Amino acid sequence: MIELLDVSRTYRRGAEEIHALAHVTLRIERGTFVALMGPSGSGKSTLLNILAGLDRPDSGTVVVADQKLQDLSEDQLAGFRARHVGFVFQFFNLIPVLTARGNVELPLLLTHLKKDERRERANTALRIVGLEQRADHHPNELSGGEQQRVAIARAIVSDPEIVVADEPTGDLDARNAVEILGLLRDLCREFQKTVVMVTHDARGESYVDHIHSLDKGLLIDPASAARASR
Amino acid sequence: MKYLPFVWLNLMRNRIRTFLTSGAIALAISLVCLLLTMPAGLNAVLKEFASGTRIVVHNEAGLVYPMPYSYLNKVRARPGVIAASSWTWFGGTFDVDEGVIFPNFAIEPDEIGQVWQDWKIEPAQLETFRRTRDGALVGRGTLVKNGWKIGDRISLSSTIFPLTLEFNIVAEIPNERFPHLFFQREYLDQALRANGGNGLEFLGLVWARVDDAKRVTPLLAEIDAMFRNSEAETASETEQAYISNFMGQLEGFVTIILIVTSLVTLCLVFIAANTASMSVRERAGEIAILKAVGFRRRTVFGMLMSEAVLLSVIGGGTGALGALGLTQIIRSLVGGWSPALGPLGSFIVTPAILVQALFLALFVGMLSGWVPSFGASRRGVAATLREVF
Repeated sequence: MIELLDVSRTYRRGAEEIHALAHVTLRIERGTFVALMGPSGSGKSTLLNILAGLDRPDSGTVVVADQKLQDLSEDQLAGFRARHVGFVFQFFNLIPVLTARGNVELPLLLTHLKKDERRERANTALRIVGLEQRADHHPNELSGGEQQRVAIARAIVSDPEIVVADEPTGDLDARNAVEILGLLRDLCREFQKTVVMVTHDARGESYVDHIHSLDKGLLIDPASAARASR
Repeated sequence: MKYLPFVWLNLMRNRIRTFLTSGAIALAISLVCLLLTMPAGLNAVLKEFASGTRIVVHNEAGLVYPMPYSYLNKVRARPGVIAASSWTWFGGTFDVDEGVIFPNFAIEPDEIGQVWQDWKIEPAQLETFRRTRDGALVGRGTLVKNGWKIGDRISLSSTIFPLTLEFNIVAEIPNERFPHLFFQREYLDQALRANGGNGLEFLGLVWARVDDAKRVTPLLAEIDAMFRNSEAETASETEQAYISNFMGQLEGFVTIILIVTSLVTLCLVFIAANTASMSVRERAGEIAILKAVGFRRRTVFGMLMSEAVLLSVIGGGTGALGALGLTQIIRSLVGGWSPALGPLGSFIVTPAILVQALFLALFVGMLSGWVPSFGASRRGVAATLREVF
C-alpha cells in the first residue's frame, strides 16, 4: 500500500519558486494499476518520484510498504528502492554496454545471489516480457518496444511490490504502446504488483484501475476525474 | 569483484579515449621509472670507476684553477704515497669552434702503472707510451667512437694554449668507459718553450696512490694542511668523493628532470581527471538510473573510482614493464656500457622501482577519479533525471 498525506514539494528554477505539489493526499491499494494523469508541469512526475523514494517532499508524510520514507537516509532509501520498487522510464534508459540480460541482471548485483542464480532470474524476467530469445542483444540491436520490455524485465527482476512507470509509452508507436500497457496490466493482474504509471496516453485509461489527475500541483478528486473520463 | 566486468565494460566503451589516456600514463610512468634508475646506476658506475686508495688534490678554489707544478713532488714525498702523477687540462679539439669532445690531459708517464693499476694497461703499450714523446694513451671509448686504432696519428688544437700538437696513438686504456686521452707533459712543455714561452709551470690535479686505505683520511688532512696559507690552497679528497662530487652536477640535472617529471605527472593527473570527468558527465543519466534501481552512493563512487584506478594502473603497469624491458634490452645488448649510450646499461629497473611506479599509478588514478566520482555519487537522482531526460 502507498499512502501520501498532505505532501508538498517546491523547488527553485533560478529565481522562480515552483510549487510542484501542494498538499496532496493519496492512497493507492496494493495490487492495483494506477495512472497519474494531467498536463505538463502538473506535478505527476514529482509525485511519482516521491512515492518511489527518488525525491523527498518538503512537508507531509509518505508511507510505502509500511515504511515512512522521510525517516530514511539516502543509503536507506537506495536500499528501499532496491527491495520494493521497480522503475520503467520513457526513454528506456538501458545501459548500452550491457546486453539485454546484463541490463536485467543489474539490480541483482545488489543482492547476495550467485552469478548463476542472477542469470536464471534475469532469464525468467526476460521470458515474462517475451524477450528470452533476445537476451544476448545489446540495446542498440533492439527496437524501441523491445528496449521498453527489457526495462520492464529489469524493473521486475528483483520481485518488487511496486512498479513505477514514467511515460512508458511516450517514445513508442501505437502497437508497441498497447503491448507495453498490456504487459504492465498483466504484471498487476498475474503477479499482484502495484503499478503506478505517469502518462499522457489516453489509451492507458482503459488499462488502469484508477486514474488520479493532477493540475498545477493539486490532486483533483478521483471520483470527479473518473466521471470526467467516462 | 562482481562489479568488475561492469567496470571493465564501462572503461572500454570509448576505446580510443581509454587507449590514449592510458598510453599517456604509460609513457610518463616509464619515464619516471627510467629516472628512478639513475641514482643506483650512478652509484654502480662510481663503484666501478673509483678506487678506495686513490686520492686527488686540486685547488680549493675549484677544478679550473691551476696549482704550482712543485706540488706534485711535495705530495709524492708524503709518507704512505706510493706514486703520484699530475693532470693538466690541454683542452684539445679538432675544431676550436666545436669545443672539446673528449677529455685530454698532459701527464707524467712514469707512474701511470702504479697510480692506475686497475686500468690494466698492457705493460708493453705502457712502456711504448713512456718512450714516445708524442705518444698518446687513449681510452677505448674515444678510440671506438672515432674509429681510431693504435698506430694512427691525430692532431689536436688546444683551447687553452696557442698550440696544435700531433699525437701518435701508442697505447689504450682497455675499457670502453674511458673517453680520456693522455699525452706526455714533457711534450707540451717543450712545445710551449719552442713557441717562446716559459714552459709548463703549473698543473691541474695531482693523483696519488696510497699504500693503505686507513691512511687515506689523515693523509688528505695532512696535504691540505701542508698547502695552507700558500699561493694555492688545496682541497684533497678520495677518488670516490671526487667522482661523486663531479657526478653531483649530474645529480642536479637529474633533480631538475625529476621536478619536470613530477610536473608532467601532475599534468597527467589533470588529463586523467578530465577523462574521468568526461566519462562521468556523458553517463550522468546512466548513473542516475543505477542509483534509482538501488545502487548506493558508495557503490557508485567505488565503481567510478575503480574505473579511474584501473585505467591508471594498467597504463602505469604497462609503462613500468616497458621501462623494465627497455633497460633489460640495453643491458643485454651493451653489457652495461657502450660508447653511444654511456652508463645507460648500468641503469636497471628493480622490483622496488616497479612497486614505486605502480603506487604512483595508483595515486594518479585515485587523485584523478576522486572528484568526478564523488560528485556523481552525491548528485540527486530526481534532479539528474529531470535535467538529462
